[in-house]
Amino acid sequence: MDAPNLIAAVQALQPDATVRAQSDRPTLIVPAHALVALATRLRDDPALRFDLLETHTAVDWLDEDRLELLYLLTSVPLGHHLTLSVSVDRDAPLVPTLCKVYPIAEWLEREAYDMFGILYDDHPDLRRLFLEDDWVGFPLRKDYEDDFMLERPE
Amino acid sequence: MGVITDNLPGVLEPLPGGSVLVTAVDQLINWSRSNSLWPLTFGTSCCAIEMMMATGAARHDMARFGAEVARPSPRQADLLVIAGTIVKRMAPRLRTLYEQMAEPRYVMATGSCAICGGPFMYHSYTTIRGADEIIPVDVYVPGCPPRPEAFFYGLLTLQKMIREGESIRHPGERRRPVLAALPEGMTLDDIRKEMQDLLSHDANVNMTDAAAEGAHYSAELKDF
Ligand code: SF4
Repeated sequence: MDAPNLIAAVQALQPDATVRAQSDRPTLIVPAHALVALATRLRDDPALRFDLLETHTAVDWLDEDRLELLYLLTSVPLGHHLTLSVSVDRDAPLVPTLCKVYPIAEWLEREAYDMFGILYDDHPDLRRLFLEDDWVGFPLRKDYEDDFMLERPE
Repeated sequence: MGVITDNLPGVLEPLPGGSVLVTAVDQLINWSRSNSLWPLTFGTSCCAIEMMMATGAARHDMARFGAEVARPSPRQADLLVIAGTIVKRMAPRLRTLYEQMAEPRYVMATGSCAICGGPFMYHSYTTIRGADEIIPVDVYVPGCPPRPEAFFYGLLTLQKMIREGESIRHPGERRRPVLAALPEGMTLDDIRKEMQDLLSHDANVNMTDAAAEGAHYSAELKDF
């Protein structure tokens, strides 16, 4: 399915999804509470069949005080791609987990928790993935600082 | 002391008590150590890929220098090539690997990351700024990543160090770490020539030199 048709098809499933400007794949902004239901339908809809969560990551928009979560979906049989974007508050980054829909999300979400401190509601095992368990802070947040880090001398 | 000592005065050295010690053994041991460096299968990022391509493929095959037997167990390896970025999580594991290797063990740090943190020196929450913060390094090979020639230049440097370094006479004596940067004006042809020379005659123990060295030590011992 090509990008305009894909966006129309997803918007038919989720009318309040808006198109995100400036993205090279079709990207839709969806509300956090609709995420799990929408992902399930995207996976099971015979015309869409998004059977692969390719990756999940986040962007820290420090000046807008929000974290943007990105879910990169791919349909292996139909060969099309879609990105879902969910924004959460930086201070209370709580989203539902996608583990039940895509089992791979378990580790991808652990990584996002590790790096950005995003909290996944109902995640079975929300621990750090790459950093030590006693690490303090979330290093990919733009305001992260620690004693080890060196500033570049001007 | 008989026919053998008469004929090979420098190679055999009289010791108090009547026993003999073959002084050329030092040279022989160092020669064989330098030509049978077994690297540990260890690599952490882009440099490791480069190193594998440089050393395993046909054009720059590391086997010519006796260093192709990559060992997956640190117990059997004696060369640790730190190729790549070392992060905080990796550092204790690297230390353990180093400590598990048997003496004598040699360490080459290849690439800017292993030397100083490289491109991740600033604003990094996790990159260790130089492998020598964790373990002692013998040879540094600069580059990001080092070219195959540079890597081999480092390997040749290490071999030279081993030949001149620790011996039975001077146990525990290690050379200071060296930077194996390609000297200014050094071309690929020069390196090829050096490798050729090395392969053609340096790969044999020079018995004349060994005998001369042995004679020198014998004389020293007599004075003593
Ligand atoms: S020195 Fe360069 S090539 Fe080597 S590991 Fe670091 S970034 Fe990669």
